[in-house]
Amino acid sequence: MLKLIFYRFAQAALILLLISFLVFVLLASAGGDAISDLQTNPQTSEQTLATLRQLYGLDRPLPVRYAMWLGELAGGSLGQSIYFQAPVWSVIQPRFWNTVALAMAAMSIALAFAATLGLAAARQTGSLADRFCDLSILLTSSTPRLVLAILALSLLARTSLVGGTTTDLPTGTWILRLLPPAFILSVPLIALLLAQTRAAVSETLREDYVRVARAKGLSERLILFRHALRPALNPLITTFGASLGGLMSGSVIVEQVLNWPGLGQLSVIAVRSRDVALLMGIVLVTSAAVLFGNLLADVLLHLNDPRLRQENHIA
Amino acid sequence: MKRLLRQLATASRYRNLRGRNSLIVGILILAFFGSIAVFADLLATYDYRSQSRREPMAPPSSLRLRDDQGNWHPRPFIYARHLVDPLERRYEETPQQRYTLELFARGYSYKLFGLFNTDRHLFGVQLDDSTSSIDAPRLNWLGTDGLGRDRFSRLVLATRFSLIVGPLGTLLASALGILIGLIAGYAGSWLDAVFMRAADVMMALPTLVLILAARAAFPLELPPTRAATLLITIFVVLGWAEMARLTRGLTLELRQREFVQAAVSIGCSPARILFRHILPNAARPLLAQTFLMLPAFLLAETSLSFLGVGLQEPEASWGNLLADAANLTLLERHEAWPILAPAFVITVFVLGVRLIGRGLERFDEAVTTQFSQAAKSA
Repeated sequence: MLKLIFYRFAQAALILLLISFLVFVLLASAGGDAISDLQTNPQTSEQTLATLRQLYGLDRPLPVRYAMWLGELAGGSLGQSIYFQAPVWSVIQPRFWNTVALAMAAMSIALAFAATLGLAAARQTGSLADRFCDLSILLTSSTPRLVLAILALSLLARTSLVGGTTTDLPTGTWILRLLPPAFILSVPLIALLLAQTRAAVSETLREDYVRVARAKGLSERLILFRHALRPALNPLITTFGASLGGLMSGSVIVEQVLNWPGLGQLSVIAVRSRDVALLMGIVLVTSAAVLFGNLLADVLLHLNDPRLRQENHIA
Repeated sequence: MKRLLRQLATASRYRNLRGRNSLIVGILILAFFGSIAVFADLLATYDYRSQSRREPMAPPSSLRLRDDQGNWHPRPFIYARHLVDPLERRYEETPQQRYTLELFARGYSYKLFGLFNTDRHLFGVQLDDSTSSIDAPRLNWLGTDGLGRDRFSRLVLATRFSLIVGPLGTLLASALGILIGLIAGYAGSWLDAVFMRAADVMMALPTLVLILAARAAFPLELPPTRAATLLITIFVVLGWAEMARLTRGLTLELRQREFVQAAVSIGCSPARILFRHILPNAARPLLAQTFLMLPAFLLAETSLSFLGVGLQEPEASWGNLLADAANLTLLERHEAWPILAPAFVITVFVLGVRLIGRGLERFDEAVTTQFSQAAKSA
């Protein structure tokens, strides 16, 4: 287990390094930087631009800039955001926790919904619950988050749940404002998890050991929760890990529309202002969070299923 | 491909085949959108870029058959309307000015199918020579936006852009993914390891954030064709992974089968084996996967345009039309449904794609069970 965790950490570090390099090269090679926008103002002289570039180190060659960025990273700093005029980490940090809270809330809602309905539907094919499950999968997978967010906005436009300031909210208001984006973020996830739960549970219900349990005269509830659910959790955990990336992507739109102060909203600002350091920080932190989530899913998988522990540790 | 079509044709003869209905409904929805894209200029009432500064945020034109004196008219008509309060953007209709609608009315000129010059549009206001074109009332099915542009025409024209970028991106990304998957699955060893590790990484990453990062590398303002090319390229580079994984799995399975080994034994080239023996047998699940990917790509384009980094104004895409719908002030002051129309359109399209995907999946299951039953009885 420890070996697995160590191996995964090393892999993640390598991947993050690779991503940071790619994004950096991509951003730098296209020309234009955070200063270029000032050019549209005719009162800004060439000299001012040159001075500003020198001040922020934007005039140096690409490898030097990347090396400097890496050096700062090694020292535990993500650099300085030109747009916000503040250290990148101090800009990212509060928003990062907001996004994590949003993702967690969405995940819990989706899991709760998928587990209850999936279990009910798997017990008998063609039952009412099964059909309802079918319909929910179709509907939740075909209503895009963008559309839902916009509909929610038009419904909530006259309430205090959207709009207005979003910093330093009291806890009660914070939770109230978290709910609409969390519900919307959870919707396509419900389709994914629901289909997985139903397929997995109905498959395990056909296994021999479930028949043995039935023959022993165990109650239906015990069979469902103790014998059928646990092996069925495996694909659910895998899906949990695999859908984290999608959750982070989805949160960009949901946060932007419903004005939730998270990383997604910040990344739009970073792109518009071409703030390389800020964008690098966001990509790095988001990717790291997703990779960590994947690692967590792997560990959970091994804890849940003793069969996996026998096999090769390095998966 | 030919064999696949034949299978589908056979399947459509079996009424009780699972997934048949969702397939048919899905194909109808997609065909509907396809014809809108083809006939966009014919359906549009005005040039989607032409502004009418005297009519910002006008409500949808109300079609009438009965005038204010209670007389019935055989053909539908609209009243002229005037902006009475520019600040509140309130309009009033003047019943003295009645304008009849006509089919195939004259409007801006365009090329139908890119070939025939014409200025006919399916619907329009009938104008006699006495009304100057400035005074003529405009027919706005969905009202106008803040610059007085016709929402309906913009929505119709937007279908073109949105139906090119998302689907083309999906097609190219699937092609790349299939190619990589075939090579990785057939060659094995280190090639396989490298490609699959890369695919794992791609799938784990927050794609939209990466797309945003990639998009940020290019100037914000781009002409539509360049924006489309750029978006498609980004989608292909970041979107091949899932397809590659599926194809690799199928290839690994198929290369064990007798007919592939027979092909190897008579000395077929790897390319021939991959494209003539393995790929046709993997076509059904691959097609289903393509339909699963399509909504994601379409929504990525819509989202980027919505965020203002995809297609730029004054060009229209489903995404940037939705930008109005995220404007709280507009939503509070005006009727919401014309502003929300693009959201509805997107949902119906995605539903159509999902229905096809579901139909294909069920069809695949049904064929597989039939095949295994036939194999058992033989």
